[in-house]
Amino acid sequence: MPKISRKTVVTVLLYVGAVVIAPLFSKAPFYRHVLIMVGLYGLLGVAWNIMGGYTGLYSFGQSAFFGIGAYTSTMMLVKAGVSPWIGMLCGGILAAIVAAGVAYPTSRLRGPYFTIASQAFARTFQILMTNWDYVEGAIGIPLPLMPDTWRFMQFKDKIPYHIIIFGLLGIAILVCYYIANSRTGYYFRAIRDSEQVASALGINTVRQRIIAAMLSAFFTAIAGTFYAQYVLYIDPESVTHHALSIEIVMVAAVGGAGTIWGPVLGAAILMPISQYARAALGGAGRGIDLIIYGVIIMVIALVRPTGILGFFQRERTIEGEGGDDVDTTITAGTGSDDAVRGALGQS
Amino acid sequence: MKKGIVVVCTLALVLALGGMAFAENVIKIGAIYPFTGPMAGTAQMLKDGVEMAVDIINNKYDFDFLFADTEGLPNLGGAKIEIIWADSAGDPKTGMSEAERLITSEGVVALIGCYQSSVTKTASQVAERYGIPFVNGDSSSPQLTERNFKWFFRTDPHDGLYARQQFEHLIELEKQTGESLRRLAIVYENTEFGSQVARAQEALAKEYGFQVVEKLAYTTGATSLNSEVTRLMASKPDVVLMAAYISDQILFTKTFKTMRFAPKVWHNTAAPGEPDFLKSVGDDGNYLFLRQGFCADQVVNKPVIGQILEEFRNKFGQEMLADAVRSFHAPIVLADAINRAGSTDPEAIRQALLETDIPGDYCLSPWEGIKFDPETGQNIHSQYIICQIQDQDFYTVFPSEFATREPVFPFPSWDDR
Repeated sequence: MPKISRKTVVTVLLYVGAVVIAPLFSKAPFYRHVLIMVGLYGLLGVAWNIMGGYTGLYSFGQSAFFGIGAYTSTMMLVKAGVSPWIGMLCGGILAAIVAAGVAYPTSRLRGPYFTIASQAFARTFQILMTNWDYVEGAIGIPLPLMPDTWRFMQFKDKIPYHIIIFGLLGIAILVCYYIANSRTGYYFRAIRDSEQVASALGINTVRQRIIAAMLSAFFTAIAGTFYAQYVLYIDPESVTHHALSIEIVMVAAVGGAGTIWGPVLGAAILMPISQYARAALGGAGRGIDLIIYGVIIMVIALVRPTGILGFFQRERTIEGEGGDDVDTTITAGTGSDDAVRGALGQS
Repeated sequence: MKKGIVVVCTLALVLALGGMAFAENVIKIGAIYPFTGPMAGTAQMLKDGVEMAVDIINNKYDFDFLFADTEGLPNLGGAKIEIIWADSAGDPKTGMSEAERLITSEGVVALIGCYQSSVTKTASQVAERYGIPFVNGDSSSPQLTERNFKWFFRTDPHDGLYARQQFEHLIELEKQTGESLRRLAIVYENTEFGSQVARAQEALAKEYGFQVVEKLAYTTGATSLNSEVTRLMASKPDVVLMAAYISDQILFTKTFKTMRFAPKVWHNTAAPGEPDFLKSVGDDGNYLFLRQGFCADQVVNKPVIGQILEEFRNKFGQEMLADAVRSFHAPIVLADAINRAGSTDPEAIRQALLETDIPGDYCLSPWEGIKFDPETGQNIHSQYIICQIQDQDFYTVFPSEFATREPVFPFPSWDDR
């Protein structure tokens, strides 16, 4: 466990403060919906980041884990009346088990080959869900409408959802922070930077890859349950579609993969742009909002290929060349030497 | 400099948001359709249908139709209907948030839309929670009116009803021709639409004593359907019941022809009614049966249809197709209810909707009228018609009171055409 520095305390306080203050700017449900989407995609981005950002496993199959989370809790709720909180945990664990089952046979695949395999897995999963009668196949499952209750995670108001999603995101960030600064985190980065070297140094790469996939799947599935409880209707088209996998990667890549706050920043930038652009221009029916959205992403990609957070990171690294304490929450894991040294426990 | 570009783009968006116009004495109705994504083309047709209806409500026309002889709603001092459009992108989550935004930020008094049943499900949940009337004219999932919602109304028939009419048609064909049509093959695309139709057909086959000899699901967008058709031929059905999307419908038609497969009856959903179908297959599209919510030949029963079709053609430069007719009814029903309520209070509108009784003369679809079941919100008079393609045009053949031509039976073999 890393020492709890003053910086950590300040970061936690800033996060809690921002989460509390953000919904107070406007009472409009649409504004608060956008905030919730920031939280949801932030969580998905952070989860993807464990695999994609730290371990270098560019998964384009996150939608399957999202679907497992959404379907597990919903089926438990609809068929047995189990609280979605328990369903959320079960969905997370189930997704982690499935992830382990997928990560093991794909553990020899690298780079684009792993990406293709992950996507194939997610697409297969979607076809499976579409044709499985027990989960209502393509027709989807409407969740029973209930009065506001914490037990069944259903509210008319947005604020409880806001609290839940940013609470979950906070937990995910903490876990990510802990991992990034632990030996496991150094193993992950060593694998990302060079799997062969990592293996030569005695790191059990298969095992580490499985751990990364399980953690990532767990948090993705939790987001899936949240989605089901928030939208109150799920079908394979909306919770297992491959477009979702791409959106998740986008959030992390635009914000800055391999950094703790990058995916959160990515969600905080992309979600409001896409939502407000659609609200303002979508009714015209010409897709102008999507063009604007696409242009903004291209601009970001051209200006900052490493993500928006990379912008600050570069500057800070240059500033920090004099030997200053480099902010681990942001620059953790840049440079393979660093990672390998960490993995060997010499840092 | 480059950062500046991003800042300017963001600013432009914020300004665009603030620049929404506000007009007086208008009644705002929110309309959610999939303006982007694969259904964008259909959404445009749906939008044109709504705009045609709003045009009739807000302006004077010299034909006999609801609100044609007045400008705006007479009981509300001539207030005009204004539609606030929103894009669902075909995504249930987006449909939900757009419904919420329309209700809370735009102040709409009612909602219409959303075409895809999955989006209508979530959007109408929002309306139900906020207590805002939702009138749907263009989603066909039976589930929608099985939820006991207080605020949801549907003018169009649903897929369950459609399947029943299909079986009634088969039984009538059997009576007319004396041939047995008991061996059924059900072919459907495996998303929500096809699955719902197939599920209803299978249940009804049992009820009416038909035998399902093959039930074949396929994934839409296939590039070859040869193995599917081979399987169909092997089961030797009398009747093929198909629920396909337009692109697959074209491919099935071509494959049937290449493989010389001609069941006695080939019954379809609305896909062959789309304009691209006959353009692609030409004469090979003849003798297919299809369900329609509307067929232009019905003008012989209701002359006003012809006048509205004419107006539509002038206004939008294209034919008014079934999808536009579907979306056309919802604003008319809402305008009628708001006018009778004399107010835009949601509860008053809901009460007026429950008392809706629009005669068949004011429906473009072949219905006896529009009247909602107080329990489910389903229009009790709604029904489909069954058309057959003959000489590359659509003719109503069932129910008999609407029929304009005799059906060609059996489906002629591909060599005898």
